[in-house]
Amino acid sequence: MAGLNDDAQWIVLMGFVVSFSLFFLAMLLNQSTLVGQTTAEGVLDFPKNDIRDVKDVIIASSQYSGDPSKFAIIQEDITALALSRKEAVVTYSLVTTPTSTDSHTRISIHYNNGVTEYNEYWTSL
Amino acid sequence: MVNDRGQLYTIEGIAAALIMLFSAYLVLSATSVYTPGDTHISDMQLEQLGTDALRMMNTPINSSSSASPLQDILYYNGVQGEFNGAGFNTIFLNYVNNETGSKIDNAPNGLHYNATVSYYDIANETTGTLPFYANSNLTGGEHPVRVTEWVIVNKTFPGGGGTDVKPRAVLVEVLLWRD
Repeated sequence: MAGLNDDAQWIVLMGFVVSFSLFFLAMLLNQSTLVGQTTAEGVLDFPKNDIRDVKDVIIASSQYSGDPSKFAIIQEDITALALSRKEAVVTYSLVTTPTSTDSHTRISIHYNNGVTEYNEYWTSL
Repeated sequence: MVNDRGQLYTIEGIAAALIMLFSAYLVLSATSVYTPGDTHISDMQLEQLGTDALRMMNTPINSSSSASPLQDILYYNGVQGEFNGAGFNTIFLNYVNNETGSKIDNAPNGLHYNATVSYYDIANETTGTLPFYANSNLTGGEHPVRVTEWVIVNKTFPGGGGTDVKPRAVLVEVLLWRD
């Protein structure tokens, strides 16, 4: 490089550095959408509405906890329908019924659709 | 001595190329292409809309009423195997088509549904499905989502459920689609 003016080499080098950093940022940005999508799909896979619905109907059925025959029919309905129409195993059982000393109803709820398992021990107010 | 004035032009050229590449990248990344794999996004919205509408229908109107509108619709004076489908149609379409501002009536969003009620046939140990109401028929070309709601209703159902009226849990299933 004898006799050549090489002042501009620094500028070209800096240009390369900047362009590489831009590429790196672009790749990061590109990956972030992928990560967002998998997160969204993970949220979708979680059967939030199914669990909430089945929990609500079980709690609603607790008003018949004083009459074992009525309670058992609803229990059979929910278990059978959840398996055949919602592809989920739903079982629940009455743990305690209100007595003169304890006014609480307690139900243990079990939900499993093969991907998500959910267990709850519900106590009435 | 070689003339090195071209170096300046080279640097300028590289800088211009970088600027062009960067702006092209910005323009391309600003828009997103809706591919068939992305339909789950709109499916999720439709599913949430339907679920919310059914949940609203299965909530008593005020503290003095013990039954929800959906329970009354399913009860239908205790007639076995039949429900107040027209009543369901009115409330459900009103809820799913609800929007802010002025509204054009008669399904402005092109939302269609097909509702059924599933129950458990105790004696035969199978589940039965009864037609509920539909504002459009499924032809096979649609892309529906399925939303459900559990309801406890105090009436008898077809099959071997016995004749004495007892509270039963049934599943209201709605296939919802847009076209």
